[in-house]
Amino acid sequence: MGKEKKAKVNRMGLRLKFSLIVSFVGICIAVALVLMGTNLMEDTIIHLYTDQGYKVAQTAVDFFTDEEIERYADLADRYIKGEVEREELDAVSQEPRYVEVKQLIRNLRKEMDANDIFICVYDVDMLKNYDQELDEKGEWTPIYYIMDCYHTEEEDFMFGDASAVVLEYLDTLIKSNDAGKRPSEFIVTDTQFGHNTTAILPIIVNDKTIAFCYVETPMKILESNKKMFVTQLGILTAVVTVILLIISIFLIVRLMIRHIVYVAQEADRFTSDNSVITHKLSEIKTHDEIQVLAENLLKLEIGINEYIDNLTKVTAEKERIGAELNVATQIQADMLPRIFPAFPERKEFDLYASMDPAKEVGGDFYDFFLIDDDHIGLVMADVSGKGVPAALFMVIAKTLIKNRAQIGGSPSEVLAYANEQLCEGNDAELFVTVWLGIIQISTGKGLAANAGHEHPVIRRAGGEYELVKYRHSPAVATMEGIKFREHEFELNPGDSLYVYTDGVPEATNSNEEMYGTDRMLAALNRNPDASPEEALKTVKDDISEFVGEAPQFDDITMLGFSYFGK
Amino acid sequence: MTIQKNREADILTVAVEGRLDTTTAPQLEEELNASIDGVKELVLDLVDLAYVSSAGLRVLLSAQKTMNKQGSMVIKNANEEVMEIFEVTGFIDILNIEE
Repeated sequence: MGKEKKAKVNRMGLRLKFSLIVSFVGICIAVALVLMGTNLMEDTIIHLYTDQGYKVAQTAVDFFTDEEIERYADLADRYIKGEVEREELDAVSQEPRYVEVKQLIRNLRKEMDANDIFICVYDVDMLKNYDQELDEKGEWTPIYYIMDCYHTEEEDFMFGDASAVVLEYLDTLIKSNDAGKRPSEFIVTDTQFGHNTTAILPIIVNDKTIAFCYVETPMKILESNKKMFVTQLGILTAVVTVILLIISIFLIVRLMIRHIVYVAQEADRFTSDNSVITHKLSEIKTHDEIQVLAENLLKLEIGINEYIDNLTKVTAEKERIGAELNVATQIQADMLPRIFPAFPERKEFDLYASMDPAKEVGGDFYDFFLIDDDHIGLVMADVSGKGVPAALFMVIAKTLIKNRAQIGGSPSEVLAYANEQLCEGNDAELFVTVWLGIIQISTGKGLAANAGHEHPVIRRAGGEYELVKYRHSPAVATMEGIKFREHEFELNPGDSLYVYTDGVPEATNSNEEMYGTDRMLAALNRNPDASPEEALKTVKDDISEFVGEAPQFDDITMLGFSYFGK
Repeated sequence: MTIQKNREADILTVAVEGRLDTTTAPQLEEELNASIDGVKELVLDLVDLAYVSSAGLRVLLSAQKTMNKQGSMVIKNANEEVMEIFEVTGFIDILNIEE
């Protein structure tokens, strides 16, 4: 089988493709895990720091009494509205109690490692109406400080100082202010000091939010641990992923792909190894579709082999029949007299005959025989149809005609007898066209009957070959009780007779043109003095040249007879 | 070769066109066998038939024999060439040919 035609297939293909897909999915999951883990860690740390910030803020606020904070906030609000001069705020910030609380908060900031702790109020109108132009000039300042404890004391904002807010969180601040609650999200800013989280605690006195306490805490742990955390998580995830990948690839290869590859190899082996079945496919017991595939492939292999066996038998049978038909053809050909010169001792005449059978066994035959010392019988006949029935019919017809003719009698009597015999039980409805001539050798006088056969051709001494046309009788075996016409003719020394079957005029070339009697006569007349053997060869060669490559459909049978007289 | 069949009651008319030779004769035989049952009169119209070989004659003869048993058969409109074949082969004596 066509091993060389097989496409080049990477036998590792399925394993490799599967491993690549699984690895890709595994790596994606691992990266997602690391990212999620990192986010979760960040969130947790921010949460912890922010919570701590709120505790610090609460502690800071608790340093004030309610009255104090109310008073400061009221002053700040009125300062925003322009009802109070800055000098009054400066004076308040010099009060011993203000200084004392500030010192407490300053200590708290230091203890708790915060960046900044401040108490402030908002200029709510400004907070809610962001003005970019003012912001660019540094005049958009919605926050007004009551007290600020920065980690560098020189940079502390004073009571009444104002500043901007981080725009990113503006909406959050507005919502927090309106609701009097902590912001719903974490306020995280990146500064030169690293990641900071800011707790914004509303200061509520008598159910009223009067100020806010901001605590900005640097998340030092986040800074120092993030890299290590990511690295460790990454390594761990990678190791786990690789182990899982190896296990899953191993399992799937072992449970599935191994079998599929095995089935493929078996199919491959079957097609390239003369269809030998090893039944290894039946060893696959995976109890799934692969087993179904393997079982069906095995069935298919067995089916193919049975089919091939069957085909081999049929072919052998066909060859045997063909061989027997060849033998039949040979036997049929052997029945015709084929030794020439047929009558070497007779100098009064010369004759030659030939039959070229078509591929299939056909029904043409010729015959010649001496009836007595002075009479010779010539037969040219064609059984309708082809194949074994025609061949059997031909054998009977030939035997009947020769036997009857040798008993003696005219051609019409001979054909009438053959007709009656052949009509009996002629279920195949075959018939045979016959030209039968009986010639008296001493005188050249003859009697002929033509039962539906082709026109004979006669050449008178010194003249040309010409068709002799006359009305024929029906073919032999067409119907019971037929009377056959016969007519006399005479051959003079130097005359020649040529009879043939329809295989000659009906030889067809590849253009569907028929050879015809005109070409036949022309071929004969090219050398009218030729011997019968030469004349027949000339016609045969001419037919071959005419037909060319087209297949021969019908037997080509001819008989030539030249009369020399005494 | 093309064959056209037309049946009216128990009269079957078959028009044969083209060449009736070794390759096409079995086709006509099959067509006739398929529809000849119960036919009292078989008319073979050969107006467009160009040629008949011995295999074709056999089919015609076979039809004639069948029709002899169950009715009659007539051949119509055979052209000159086909008529000559009928004459030469003697089929003119057996077949019922309408001139």
